[in-house]
Amino acid sequence: MATQSARTSAGQRTIPWVWISRIGIVIFFVLFLLVPLIGVVQEMIANPQLLARQLIIGLTNGAYIALIAMGYTLVYGIVEMINFAHGEVYMIGAFLALTLVGIFDLTEKTPYSIRVPMLLLILVITMFCTAMLNVAIERLAYRRLRNASKLAPLISAIGVSFVLQNAGLLWGYLRFPAMHGIMGNNAVAPKSFPSLLPNDNILEGLTAVFGENFKIRLAGKDLIVVIVSVSLLIALYLFIQRTKLGKAMRATAQDRSAAELMGIDVNRTISLAFLLGGAMAGAAGLLVGLYNGTAVFTMGFTAGLRSFTAAVLGGIGNIAGAMLGGLLIGLISALSDQYLSAKWTNAVVFGILVIILVFRPMGLLGEEGGQKA
Amino acid sequence: MAPILVAQGIVKQFGGLTAVNKVDFELEAGSISSLIGPNGAGKTTFFNMITGLYVPTSGSFIFAGQKINGLRPHEVTRAGIGRTFQNIRLFAHMSARENVLVGQHTRLRTGLIGALLRPKRVRDEEAAAVTKANDLLDYVGLSRQRSSDSAKNLPYGDQRRLEIARALATDPQLLLLDEPTAGMNPQETDDLTKLIRRIRDERKITILLIEHDMKVVMGISEKVTVLDHGAKISEGLPYQVASDEQVIEAYLGKGAAAHGKSGRKSSASSPSA
Amino acid sequence: MNKTTRAWLTGGIFGGLIALISGGLVGFLAGIIAGMVTGLLVAKHVVQRTPMEGFRRGAQNGLIAGMFVLVGQLLRGLLINPIIDPHHAGLHAVYTAALGGLVLSGLVAGLFGAVNTLPAPRNRAWSVGLIVLLVLAYPWLDQLLELRFMNEIIPVIVFVLMALGLNIVVGYAGLLDLGYAAFFAIGAYTTGLLASPHLGVNMSIWIAIWISAAVAAIFGLILGAPTLPLRGDYLAIVTLGFGEIVPIAVNNLDKLNINILGYNVVKDFDLTGGSKGLNPIGRPWLPFIGEFRADSPIPWYYLILIIMAFSIFFIMRLRDSRIGRAWMAMREDELAASSMGIDIVRTKLMAFSMGATFSGFAGAFYGSYISAIFPSSFAFDVSVMLLCMVILGGMGNITGVIVGGLIIQLADRLFLPQLSQLVQKLFEKSDIAVLKELNFASDFRVLLFGLTLVIMMNIRPEGLLPSADVRAELHSGDDDDAVVATGVKQTV
Repeated sequence: MATQSARTSAGQRTIPWVWISRIGIVIFFVLFLLVPLIGVVQEMIANPQLLARQLIIGLTNGAYIALIAMGYTLVYGIVEMINFAHGEVYMIGAFLALTLVGIFDLTEKTPYSIRVPMLLLILVITMFCTAMLNVAIERLAYRRLRNASKLAPLISAIGVSFVLQNAGLLWGYLRFPAMHGIMGNNAVAPKSFPSLLPNDNILEGLTAVFGENFKIRLAGKDLIVVIVSVSLLIALYLFIQRTKLGKAMRATAQDRSAAELMGIDVNRTISLAFLLGGAMAGAAGLLVGLYNGTAVFTMGFTAGLRSFTAAVLGGIGNIAGAMLGGLLIGLISALSDQYLSAKWTNAVVFGILVIILVFRPMGLLGEEGGQKA
Repeated sequence: MAPILVAQGIVKQFGGLTAVNKVDFELEAGSISSLIGPNGAGKTTFFNMITGLYVPTSGSFIFAGQKINGLRPHEVTRAGIGRTFQNIRLFAHMSARENVLVGQHTRLRTGLIGALLRPKRVRDEEAAAVTKANDLLDYVGLSRQRSSDSAKNLPYGDQRRLEIARALATDPQLLLLDEPTAGMNPQETDDLTKLIRRIRDERKITILLIEHDMKVVMGISEKVTVLDHGAKISEGLPYQVASDEQVIEAYLGKGAAAHGKSGRKSSASSPSA
Repeated sequence: MNKTTRAWLTGGIFGGLIALISGGLVGFLAGIIAGMVTGLLVAKHVVQRTPMEGFRRGAQNGLIAGMFVLVGQLLRGLLINPIIDPHHAGLHAVYTAALGGLVLSGLVAGLFGAVNTLPAPRNRAWSVGLIVLLVLAYPWLDQLLELRFMNEIIPVIVFVLMALGLNIVVGYAGLLDLGYAAFFAIGAYTTGLLASPHLGVNMSIWIAIWISAAVAAIFGLILGAPTLPLRGDYLAIVTLGFGEIVPIAVNNLDKLNINILGYNVVKDFDLTGGSKGLNPIGRPWLPFIGEFRADSPIPWYYLILIIMAFSIFFIMRLRDSRIGRAWMAMREDELAASSMGIDIVRTKLMAFSMGATFSGFAGAFYGSYISAIFPSSFAFDVSVMLLCMVILGGMGNITGVIVGGLIIQLADRLFLPQLSQLVQKLFEKSDIAVLKELNFASDFRVLLFGLTLVIMMNIRPEGLLPSADVRAELHSGDDDDAVVATGVKQTV
């Protein structure tokens, strides 16, 4: 029956009421978004340096959002479920990374010769652990529901996300001596990372050459976050495009039963999707923790929302689409933070999500009428 | 007799794929007709277009003098076309009786206020609906004891019958049956064929069926239309169609008509009408 | 495990835990609850002939369940209380409550057992009647036992009412709505604006509550419309989006500026009171009772019970009508439903707006009851908690939703805080700093919801109290009613 309904939603005709609802939504968002936007554009033109700085922040945000979005898009591509708990896996990644930073006792004073290999080690451990966590989640909470209705795994995933969020809260109580007090005194409060990435302005020299009008701040950590994220994304892309396992994943995404008939172990392939997604989320957790300097147990919800929106925006199930979507959402949320106000950003991102789902559910890079849309 | 359904130049394309290609088609009121063709010939797509699930890319359907393409599925049902599905689509967790009651939906009037306050008019309507549902279950031969069972707990043959009862509950003038005997044994097939004929004879409902079982097709239809690759390749009385070389070719592949011997679908060439 | 054992074990565990956690005179209440659960479960599974026989069977099992209460009560009174409060005497009260709980458990279970021996339709009516009687008598019990639970129980019922509304959307129509709390907010804020001095409209709450429900229904239509073309999981996410946008909007609409073509039409207009919320909101007034007051919860209690009774009545009527059938058909198979003549658009929108109506109603009542509303009361976890309430008891089943809702809400509002206090007191003198710091009520609350969802989905998707039909289908083969019945007769 599932295939039948998928077919009709693709082939179904356009009915006037769809347009009525679309017009309604346009009016709704014009009131909320466009009216303030006019003022925003004026502000942007008035101060291009600030705009440039926001674009840089947006770029780094986009990089980590794309990393998390991979998890949504890989999983959706293969099992067609929204892994609602994915944002929380990222949060756990950040907490784990923080704990490791504490255990290895890395501080601002640690020399780079020790800091860099340590951080790389932390990256690997974090990615490994979140990958395993994600695989375990699939095994325990979703696998049994694979043939149930679409809502059952989604509800289970919401449950898992609450469990993980609570785990993050309780994590704040951990205060082993080996952690060197990294968790602070208040369990619930945001935790701070020591600033381990270089924060000096690389473009200082430009200001010296071109004068005060060319004053853009680009810190070393901006570059590091983008470089690490992009290399992970490229590695993932190559893995999926070039390797045999990656081919098995793509085949399973196309047609699970046919893949099974061709001798592909579908369970293993699905686990692999969760594994890769979890690893990317863990990396994002470490990078964001180091970049923003904080981690809090509620951070998963917002990040998950943005990344899911990014995945849908790019065309869910589409790897390149998730990267593009991540970039766009990163930029949009950075601009919204600056020019609207941070408290509206979630509403803006949700508004975008609603608009895409209503107008172009296949996303930017998805194919019209494609199976996944 | 006047045609009850006329299809004019129906085309349906999915992306680059043409599923149904310029089909003209007429259905006489009170007749039993069949739509046959190899798998993927576009038969179910054709049904789905009649019932409003798909919109034809071009062409039009005229039902009882009224243009029906562009109507939404429930409006088509209200206009008087009932259907069953190839892979049974009952409301699995509802009882057999409730399934038939749902079929009466467009023929009942109760709105929100009526449902909440339940005045006499509503109670009478509901009682009549239940009576009608029971009658229909009797009519298709489902035993009374089973009418409270969940649809999904019914035996396969009963599920097929229940689907027909549910379609009849919409008070159709035209009934579309999508492979009603699929998966049935010869005895069940025979009973169902009789039921289909009874529906036409006693209720004066025009019937169009998609069917793979040539015995059923040849035995019951007054007209057979053959689709292949979305195009109509033959039409006429059952025996005419059965001996049509194009049809045999479509079923058995090129050259088979010349050799004219056994194949996968050999029943097509040896009608038992 | 045979079903009689399961009956007293369930009742006993519930009662015992309540007694253990709450202690004091709650033991009596624990006994009644244990007896009720046991009696109902025994009656459901074992066929008795005469009322006397039924009473005896019920009472026997009720007493077994009562033993749990007794043990819980004694553990609390004799072991735990001396640790957390050495100067507290009152051993008499401990024994009285323990024995009282035991006796009440047997008595209540016996009553339910006896009532169930009546001929078929009447036994059900009487069981329901007994429960209603207990519910009606609760304020009296509360006062008698000095429980002071009333202020917690009224919001519990408000939330159960909302769960019933959500059940229309999720359980009947099969539309997963993750932003249901938004309608609660809309109802509450409409009342807040109409029946408070904030805008200078001091409308009577009796009128405002209807307007709130209507406004919520309209928002149900507005927010439902864009989701119409979406498939199940996307629909869930979009509703989640609306559920997030509404509190954000409410939180930030305290300095509203509207510029049209450069003219500042509205300047710094405080629509919602921002994070401070709105207060005070008007309270209902009735002849003889006067204005409802915050310090006397009894009129509120009966008012919400009346609203609840009407809601259940109307929801049952909807369920058994042409509209209810259309909802369920749509849930089962949207495409087949539309081919059977059901207008999917209308039917979906009707489900959304009916669900929203109940939520709006509940919101209006809640706003008036606590006399204030804040944006923080409508966050995503409220929506998820409501979803838990619907799923725990059994989707699409009114009794199930009520039971599931009561369990989750009472745990959340009464027993977790009490457990938390208890644990904190227990560890106050220990050396483990973490345990002192932990607050069970807030630190494990979300975990509870999460686990409920995962476990229910994976192990018992039909809920604790599935409708008979779903149970038969999911657990065919282990139905040992007949065996239990004969076994029981031999032992008797």
